[in-house]
Amino acid sequence: MEAKIALAGNPNSGKTTVFNALTGGRGHVGNWPGVTVEKKDGAVKGHPGIIIEDLPGIYSLSPYTPEEIVSRGYLINEKPDVIINIVDASNLERNLYLTTQLAEIGIPMVIALNMTDVVEKTGDVIDYGKLSEELGAPVFGICAVNGRDLRLALLADKAIEMKGKNPPKAEGCFSEKTEAALRKIMDLAAKAGIAESPRFYAVKLFERDKEIKLSLPPEVSEEIEKIIQACEKELDDDSESIITVERYDRIAEIMKKCVKLNDAGGLSASDKIDRVVTHRVLALPIFALVMFFVYFVSISAVGAWLTDWVNDSLFGEIIPGAVSGFLASVNTAEWLNSLILDGIVAGVGAVLGFLPQMFVLFFCLAALEDCGYMARIAFIMDRIFRKFGLSGKSFIPMLVGTGCGVPGIMASRTIESPADRRMTITTTTFMPCSAKLPIIALISGAFFGDSALVPSSAYFLGVASIIISGVALKQTRLFAGEASPFIMELPAYHMPRIGGALRVAGERAVSFAKRAGTFITLATVIVWFLSGYGFDLKPAEVDSSILAFIGRGAAPLFRPAGFGSWQAVVASITGLMAKENVVGTMGVLYPGDSLASAMTPRAAYAFLVFNLLCAPCVAAMSAIAKEMNSKKWTAFAIGYQCAFAYAAAVIVYRLGAIFGGGI
Amino acid sequence: MPLAMVRPGQSANIKRVTGKEEVKRHLENLGFVEGQSVSVVSELSGNLIINVKGSRVALDKNMASRIIM
Repeated sequence: MEAKIALAGNPNSGKTTVFNALTGGRGHVGNWPGVTVEKKDGAVKGHPGIIIEDLPGIYSLSPYTPEEIVSRGYLINEKPDVIINIVDASNLERNLYLTTQLAEIGIPMVIALNMTDVVEKTGDVIDYGKLSEELGAPVFGICAVNGRDLRLALLADKAIEMKGKNPPKAEGCFSEKTEAALRKIMDLAAKAGIAESPRFYAVKLFERDKEIKLSLPPEVSEEIEKIIQACEKELDDDSESIITVERYDRIAEIMKKCVKLNDAGGLSASDKIDRVVTHRVLALPIFALVMFFVYFVSISAVGAWLTDWVNDSLFGEIIPGAVSGFLASVNTAEWLNSLILDGIVAGVGAVLGFLPQMFVLFFCLAALEDCGYMARIAFIMDRIFRKFGLSGKSFIPMLVGTGCGVPGIMASRTIESPADRRMTITTTTFMPCSAKLPIIALISGAFFGDSALVPSSAYFLGVASIIISGVALKQTRLFAGEASPFIMELPAYHMPRIGGALRVAGERAVSFAKRAGTFITLATVIVWFLSGYGFDLKPAEVDSSILAFIGRGAAPLFRPAGFGSWQAVVASITGLMAKENVVGTMGVLYPGDSLASAMTPRAAYAFLVFNLLCAPCVAAMSAIAKEMNSKKWTAFAIGYQCAFAYAAAVIVYRLGAIFGGGI
Repeated sequence: MPLAMVRPGQSANIKRVTGKEEVKRHLENLGFVEGQSVSVVSELSGNLIINVKGSRVALDKNMASRIIM
């Protein structure tokens, strides 16, 4: 059997969690609205012909942001066989607003009340049977975070069974007068040839939705307009408000019949936490403290301890010792020994050495995201960002960007205004992504004794660069204008799920290790070759190698920033392929501990600043090109990033000379 | 009075939502409709966290002054 099933529901209602549970997929899940910005499909486990489509969350069928348009377009134009409406049961009233609209499309529907565990805790009681009766569709209670919840399999079976069955009951949602007007519009539209989803189109026509483009003959449009005006006059309201208000009235009626609220009164736990973490005075210090703590734990404490062992013992002694012993025993050629030891082991080892630190950092960030705090940061940052012409919503892509710049850039789709979106795409990669982390850890370890201040400062440098860019770019005509309004639903807090955070951290660590094993190995081999051979293709001293020649050409450019050595320049260039390469290249070009004496700490920090802010890796640059959808804007973004990075590095280096003395 | 003037801990009923059509519609979709009772959870230099229909919605100051209570 074959069927197309769409998962539709409010943002952050758990669609991707259900999708992962049903398909065995690994879509990214986060506790804030707008994690999923693209639709994604997968086959149901055990039913290869049944395809489930995970859609971005929507509040209604009147889209507001670009990713909401994707969802509506799919539901209306591609017509799935069945809709599974995922409903956040702990927020039933607001979620049913969408449910009643989905019913109007006229596709068979199953309603899954998710997060029933939260409802049980609050003591509310939902009568599933009654709710099913009122909505005219099967209703299931599920708890999707518990992947073993047996009701998930029942839900999938029911959804498959619903193919070809009756769609939910949509009539009777509005007052008798409105319903009469809708019936008349439906008749007129049917005569004009609109056969599919008649009720959905009737409601949209009644609302005068401008996004809906139906080719109706002018006399029909006129007649419909007369019906709407008559109804507006009778009910003394504009047609769109009539629909909204009556829909909410109907939902209030359903709530009354089906839900017994445990009205214990007082503040919910989430509200109490919000009182503290979004407090007018405490909010920013708490945020700074949390970020410092996260970096302290992952870079200085647990992570550094592990990384030191991996770097100094594993890749410093154990592996090189074992490998050179092995190579000696099989009596390999000199150049091959050099390739393996000085090239691959030194380069890839330098990158892999940071894996423990990255794992701990990924874990902390995933836990922070899961518990709901990340969404509050957007709220806290909004007031600061707004002063500089950006909305707090721009902060979400930047938060995602701390994992990887590519999804960060894609997350900019939740921003409504094109000017703000472009600005966010341009500045998102200023945030230190996971691939830049090894660079930070390298500099922090070699020059600053593994201080947590270096990584925290990198984070705040990212934020500061975004703010400064916001101020500067808003002065130009291209980006001028008021910041987008900030309207964002905040998720409820819950205890971070350790297992989930470990899984996210594990996945990212694995993909990091994979890159180290493939892409970065290749790059280090190239660097090893270019640094070990001259233009005559004969082995040469490093100083007369091809790489030294290339690096020397560009090095003078970076002398004002303090890191005019050709090695540092070459490392920065290889970083454009993948940021980890910076560390891999440094590993090849500065064997052993020679890095610490190659630069002053001040120059090293300027080097770090430049590499954090300059054009990102190829993958992120192509994401920029895709989201900008314009060559001109892509070139602008990358050019701006490089110019900004250069200026920042020079300024940091010069200021360091004034304030830091001779270091 | 605008929602921006409601103090944390207090609640009030919405009289009307003003402003641009699409923003107004978005607010309505989130539950900000005429007659709805909302309460202010927290305030941060004019930006508010509002409890509406059992969910929490963050609004900037400008938005909060367009919702008339």
